[in-house]
Amino acid sequence: MTEPVWGPVHQDIVGLLADHPADVPAVVDHLTKLQDLLVRLPPLEESCPLADFNKLYLVITSTVLDGLYDDRFTDPAFLARLDVEFAARYFDALRFWTDSHPSTPKAWSCLFQRMRGPDARPLPSAAAGVNAHINYDLPFALVTTFDSLDSEPVDGSDQHRDYLEINKIFAERIPELRRGYLDHWQLMIDMVNGDIDDWYQGELVEYTRNVAWRNAQKIWRCRHDPDARECERMRLDDNAALLGRLLLSPLGAFLQ
Amino acid sequence: MASDVDTAPLVGRADTMAALRSALLDDVAPGQTAAVFLSGESGVGKTRLLAEAVERLRDAGALVLTGTCLDIGDASPLHPLRQALRRLDADLTEARTSSAVRGLLQVFDEETPGPDGAGALLERVSRGLHLVAGGRPLVLVLDDLQWVDRSTRQLLLYLLAGLGDLQLSVLAAIRAESLQGAHPLRRVLTELRRLRSVRVVDLAPLDRAGTDELAAAIVGTPLPPEAADQLWQRSGGNPFVVEELARDLRDGHDGLSDTLREVFLARVDALPQPAHAVVHAVAAGVEPVEHWLLAQVVRLPEDQLIEAVREAVAHRLLVGADDGYRLRHRLVAEVLAHELLPAERAALHRRYAEALTSATAELHQARLAHHWRLAGEPARALPAAMAAAREAERLHGYAEAHRHWSAALTLATTPPAVLPDGGRPEPVEADRAELLTHAAESAHHCGEHARALALLEELAADPAGPPTCALHIRRARYLAAAGRSAPAEAEYRRVLAAEDCTPRERATAAARLAELLLHLGRYAEAGDQAREALRLAADVEGTASEVVLASSALGFSEAYLEDPDAGLAVMREALDIAERSGRPEDVACAYLHLAELLTGPLNILEEGVVVARRGAERVAELGLGRTWETRLLAIATNGLFRVGQWAEAEKVVAAALRHRPSGADAVELLLARCRLSVGYGDVEASDRDLEAVATVLAGGGARHVLPMLILRAGLAMWQGRHDLARQAVQRGLTESRSDDVIVLATLAWHGLRAEAEASASRTVEVDQNAVRRLREVVDRVAAKSGKAGAPVRYVADGFLALCAAELSRLDDGRGDPELWARAAVEWDRRNHPYPAAYSRLRQAEALLGRRSRLATAGKLLRQAHGTAQALGALPLSEEIRTLAGRARVALDEVPAAARPAPRPRAAAPAAPTVDELVVLTAREREVLAAVAEGLTNREIGQRLFISERTIGVHVSHIFDKLQVRTRVQASAIFLRNNAD
Repeated sequence: MTEPVWGPVHQDIVGLLADHPADVPAVVDHLTKLQDLLVRLPPLEESCPLADFNKLYLVITSTVLDGLYDDRFTDPAFLARLDVEFAARYFDALRFWTDSHPSTPKAWSCLFQRMRGPDARPLPSAAAGVNAHINYDLPFALVTTFDSLDSEPVDGSDQHRDYLEINKIFAERIPELRRGYLDHWQLMIDMVNGDIDDWYQGELVEYTRNVAWRNAQKIWRCRHDPDARECERMRLDDNAALLGRLLLSPLGAFLQ
Repeated sequence: MASDVDTAPLVGRADTMAALRSALLDDVAPGQTAAVFLSGESGVGKTRLLAEAVERLRDAGALVLTGTCLDIGDASPLHPLRQALRRLDADLTEARTSSAVRGLLQVFDEETPGPDGAGALLERVSRGLHLVAGGRPLVLVLDDLQWVDRSTRQLLLYLLAGLGDLQLSVLAAIRAESLQGAHPLRRVLTELRRLRSVRVVDLAPLDRAGTDELAAAIVGTPLPPEAADQLWQRSGGNPFVVEELARDLRDGHDGLSDTLREVFLARVDALPQPAHAVVHAVAAGVEPVEHWLLAQVVRLPEDQLIEAVREAVAHRLLVGADDGYRLRHRLVAEVLAHELLPAERAALHRRYAEALTSATAELHQARLAHHWRLAGEPARALPAAMAAAREAERLHGYAEAHRHWSAALTLATTPPAVLPDGGRPEPVEADRAELLTHAAESAHHCGEHARALALLEELAADPAGPPTCALHIRRARYLAAAGRSAPAEAEYRRVLAAEDCTPRERATAAARLAELLLHLGRYAEAGDQAREALRLAADVEGTASEVVLASSALGFSEAYLEDPDAGLAVMREALDIAERSGRPEDVACAYLHLAELLTGPLNILEEGVVVARRGAERVAELGLGRTWETRLLAIATNGLFRVGQWAEAEKVVAAALRHRPSGADAVELLLARCRLSVGYGDVEASDRDLEAVATVLAGGGARHVLPMLILRAGLAMWQGRHDLARQAVQRGLTESRSDDVIVLATLAWHGLRAEAEASASRTVEVDQNAVRRLREVVDRVAAKSGKAGAPVRYVADGFLALCAAELSRLDDGRGDPELWARAAVEWDRRNHPYPAAYSRLRQAEALLGRRSRLATAGKLLRQAHGTAQALGALPLSEEIRTLAGRARVALDEVPAAARPAPRPRAAAPAAPTVDELVVLTAREREVLAAVAEGLTNREIGQRLFISERTIGVHVSHIFDKLQVRTRVQASAIFLRNNAD
């Protein structure tokens, strides 16, 4: 038998992933437990590239949770659902990877592959995770959320404003993260939110922070058409994977 | 060659098969439902497993219905079920079942569009299935669920929630790849997999041993190690791939093909010409392709056709069944897709279309539209698409109808292709405005609001479109449905200002606008607008609907603005008008609003209940029982619960559920019944209703999530599971809007009560972080309710009083009797005995804790006990009795013969001189031992090989005999008696 995917913490991670968190407090709890496991993963342990992403994601999600408790959002039902759906896709990718399943999104596998080394710098690793999560997972999480709430992605709606509020959370958290990582955070956020994506698609867009939202609107329109939906999914996966590999390449190291 | 068609043995699935059988049949209690969803990648053997399961379930005496969902994106509503019934009909020999099946099929044929059509159809379908089942367990098996239509999805959830009152199991297979991205089933499955009655089985590929076993079975001998290695590498354990590669090996094809694609390409190439044609024809058709249809498409003489089909089957490219032919696997279709020239494919579609034109078949119009479109003849596809859309609307499948209307719109602008003979087909003639109208309306009905609005804009630009005023009204309607209130308001105002609008249109707009403003909490404006609507409607005949709508807006706005009498008078007047000159729906609507007004903001509960019940009788006379009677009875139930007439409430809710309601109406009733069960302390019934609610909500309906969470927290507290109560409250707090003051106040009380009781019973640690957050919520609710309308403030204040009192319990561990007294007064004033009795219990507890005014405490306990007994609130009664026992307060209870006399439990637990467990049976001791280990009922059931239900019964007996309320208390007694 080959060695289990998650080495010595395999059973723990499989056990953790068997559960599907249903609300934001449970998502935070899940990410916390996952973090404890990831940093024990040989050979890189503390510098596990996935742990770098997971830590960042945990910080952001905890801030979202506080925001939900503190009446920060207009439509908490929407944002809470989105947060759960969003996280579910990350956990799905981890499950696929655990089973060495061919359906593991390419956007994620490029980061997962790096867990065995060579050592990657924390910033590009976290950035690659953010890239996969925002550029690939987020549009679908948005579509599923709207679908389940009998609502629609409409610009300027309460939901849209709440969604943009998350950008502020990123911005608020960046000074802290900077101390942990580096000054190029803003650049990274800009990149994963659109600039590079748009740049290599050769499209000129009016705004760059809203790529995932616009992709969600695009998928929304074709969500009943399995072929078109699958086509869109593959496009996003390929794009995100391309960018992910770029971030994890020596070129990405300049960020550090 | 013939042996090739034999199926390979089913390898490595014995455990799954056994699990399927027990989950779908053996473990399903009478009257209950269950479901297993099998997900797995293509080729992993889902269909094969389904077929095997069908055999075994049939052998075990179940009536099995099997259907397959279709991928032609424009299928018809409920197609898989109708297909399953037709298949069953073809197989049947018993006359009784056969007539039931035909009766149900006829239901679909005779369905007509109507106001509550979708719900009524669900009810008729479940009645029909009941007759078909004829007392046998019914299993519905669906393959390719990833392509399920929306109507079938809703039907499944309805039946699984038990609303159809049918013992049913569902077994469905889903291709795992499809669930990635944004598939609508993804979320449904995430929600369902949490339920006890549902299992999601991820079917994994075979392991190495299974792969070897399967290959050996096909080849006839075990493979040499090298070949076995290679096969394992290439197949990854996917049984379909293993099977095909192993066959190639056995048949001595040189070397192992690298991919399945190559395997199939080689087989297609090896086919003789007629068989080749047959395979291509089936690939272009909609499966299953009937024999007669295939004959017309390939145009071979009968004996040659049969020979060709046999060849294709022998080469494992095609499979035949009674209802027609299918490709053996999707991979075959992919291989074939690149083999035909576009002109060849178009010709095949043309032949299909021509053949179907002259004969009726399943999915007739949808298939015609599909084939004519792909044959490059939009003009002939268009009428078929329109007919398919109307057919879908007839079955209330607005999502499918919308797709057909959209397809029709596209067809109307598609230039026809050049025919093979060089001629042009007839040009498309279509009434674009008509198509746009239908497309927009169906989009509106299926919740595609943005699309509906976009279509309406196209319609507005169309010169043949409707007049501006009608457009404004429709736009406003669509916008309001999309929750976009501001632009909706603007549209209504445009109607009111427009010159060309009729007085009737203006009255409609004014009434709807008043309703919208009311929902926005702009009560004064809503009142003004409602008055304006009533004035406009006064001069116009046949505006009873508008009058009812406007009167209700006026009634509610007055109630909120603290002139309840005026509001009530308006609403009563509206009921009179509706009775005199309105349609039956207007009467029903007037009763509903009047009852809501009384039981809601005015809090005149008894009268509200009377009105709701009288209304229910009246609407039943008017033939509107299913929808309106159900809603009115839901209001009556909730009112009766609050005034403390629980037994009556139980009767009413049972009567309402006999209508087998669906959707939001069903959820309301299930929640109402669950509220009663939680009060009664009936854990099993509460759980069942909460599961049913969660099942329905998996299909949408976010606004009912919060009441469900509140009930979950309430139930968990009676079970001593304060951690679960905390979780439910936390989820509720993170998902409720800050302007939803009553919900927040209710949640805060449940959360604080859970923490206070956790602290008192020491079941779990108090979560200080949670307490801090709950305090913040309380402050926020207090601030917001000060600004809210009086009726909202009235309810919120009651909960805030409870919150303050619970907080005092957390602060000093004993609670402030003054605060509890105040809470009791608040709830007495609201005529709501249940929380009042609870408050008295706590007040007594606080007094006793301070050892002051013991006589008062005794009086309070007796009073609370009287109320709790009258309600039938068992857990509350028991808690009161426990406290009274500790304080040696006599409750002048009629000594209940059924109940063992409460054993005095020493305050300081001395070493027991007698075995306290002597009252338990051997089995109960076993169960208690497991409880003390911390196992759940399910786990205990698994350990002792009895059902979870039975464990629940044992546990409640144990609780009764030991005079305890929680598992922790029971465990403590167990451990005390087994210390040595």
